[in-house]
Amino acid sequence: MINSIIECREVSHFYGSLPALSNVSFELEAGDPVGLVGPNGAGKTTLLNLICGFLLPGKGQISVFGQSPGAAGLIGRIGALPQDSRFDPNFSIGQQLVLYGRLQGLNAGIAEQEAQRVMDAVDLGNMIDQKPISLSHGMVKRVLIAQALIGTPDLVILDEPSAGLDPMNTRTIRHVIQQQSTQSTFIISSHNLDELGKLCSRVLLLDKGRMTPHQIHQGDAVENASQRYLTLVLESYPENDVIQRLQEINGIARVSVTQKNEYLIEYDALVEPAMDLKVMTNLSENQWNYKQLLKGKSLEEQLFASHNADR
Amino acid sequence: MTTLLKSSTGFVKHLLLFSQFEIKRLLMTRKGAMTVLTFAVVWLLILYYPIRLASSLVMRGQQSVDVFRIFEFFGFDFLMIWQIPEFGVFWAFALLIFPTMSLFLAADQTCSDRELGTIRILALRSTRERLFFGRFSGAMLVQTLLILVALVCTLLLVMLRDPGLFAEGFNSMLAIIVNLVITILPFTAMMALLSSVLKSARQVTLWAVLILMFLSGVISIFSHYLPVLGMLKHLIPGYQFQELGRLAQWDTLQIAYVPLLQTLVMLAIGYWLIRRQSL
Repeated sequence: MINSIIECREVSHFYGSLPALSNVSFELEAGDPVGLVGPNGAGKTTLLNLICGFLLPGKGQISVFGQSPGAAGLIGRIGALPQDSRFDPNFSIGQQLVLYGRLQGLNAGIAEQEAQRVMDAVDLGNMIDQKPISLSHGMVKRVLIAQALIGTPDLVILDEPSAGLDPMNTRTIRHVIQQQSTQSTFIISSHNLDELGKLCSRVLLLDKGRMTPHQIHQGDAVENASQRYLTLVLESYPENDVIQRLQEINGIARVSVTQKNEYLIEYDALVEPAMDLKVMTNLSENQWNYKQLLKGKSLEEQLFASHNADR
Repeated sequence: MTTLLKSSTGFVKHLLLFSQFEIKRLLMTRKGAMTVLTFAVVWLLILYYPIRLASSLVMRGQQSVDVFRIFEFFGFDFLMIWQIPEFGVFWAFALLIFPTMSLFLAADQTCSDRELGTIRILALRSTRERLFFGRFSGAMLVQTLLILVALVCTLLLVMLRDPGLFAEGFNSMLAIIVNLVITILPFTAMMALLSSVLKSARQVTLWAVLILMFLSGVISIFSHYLPVLGMLKHLIPGYQFQELGRLAQWDTLQIAYVPLLQTLVMLAIGYWLIRRQSL
């Protein structure tokens, strides 16, 4: 049985006469985290706001768990980190989180436990009695993410969760998402493709208000019968030498430079199934140090190489 | 999620939760403490001077002619139609003070939440209409609490004069609280409506003052050309005040339909607006 959580049918939205979304249609099933990517102004936040019921669609239909966004039946089933939202400055974080929990139907005791649990999850358990004004920007962001997790909702929508966070806290948030993604389906809008690559197996690409769904090829998953890819990041070495030496390996069809010190290796898995080991041996023989060896293409390559080719 | 659910998420439950939170805002925040302090100072002055004056004049046994003349001199002769003059004085001041307080106390029902974006976090856990009516009922609860405190203080003052007046005083107190709550309903509903479209509490208060001061005049000008428009004056909160001031005890309920109707209209418009707006 298909477990569809979101259905969008020909959804359009306009700000004045400017179209933000044009006939967007897609269906999303419960499961692994979903990335939502696209350039600035592509309509990502608009789409998420429509799903949450903050905006009303100009045209088309959206259904979340079979109901219209904003319906009473969705209370407690959706958690979200909305963009540009802040807490009430007059109350402590704990008081507000408990209210949110109680609105979701938790009794007072459980709401307090949930408030503490989600604050602990974002490493801010000791700040629960503080007012928002005493928190830094990064802390507020983490608490906003924490509120989205109260009651373990079925769907959690995070709009730019890592924006403004330092690497350490980005790692904490990633860990929280990975832990809770067994119980909730996450939709994560972000410009950080490395981060999305680590979290998501599915990606929705929005550009100029139009949607293209993508399945992320994890590891060296097959794109056709035998064609596979490796992404190699090296320290700084002459590009021509690297390409030449790598192409000498039997089975490698093509080596291309995707960005500085990053190489995309296309090979035939029928000729050499353990190409990663061959490449490592080659690097060792040439005394080249590598930073990263990734099976398959990076998310950026998967999304934008084909996208740009389509244009 | 379902394993954590322990209580309902119904409409009434949400109204109660939002109302409770507004009481917390009044009693547990710095802004609320300032409101309570201002309220206490204003009512202390009213209780200490005009209401105590009425009490002491009555205690001297001069209520038959002299007291009536004093109140008549100041144009407050209608106060004497109350069984207990202290409540007559309270009623006269309350009709001015509580609707005015409403313009400040009930100004920020949803506007700062919308500006902060907090409304989005709340809307995910409730619905727009629950939030709108929840904040409205919270504002009403806060004002009712303040009215009750002022009335209990007045009743205590009456009992200091004559403990035997408790029964009559309690009856007057009930009549006043019911009437005052009905009186401030349309003011609070007007603030709910304005709060759902304007950006700050200050703007809401400013617009409310402008509406109360000038709308009647504007309608009068237009009704000069189209008399049927004069009916619109019935929608202005406080339209019935002149008549209300001349009624006492439970007679004041005779014109309660006016503020109730005004409240229904204002809330219906506010509800219609908040259902259609972007959060």
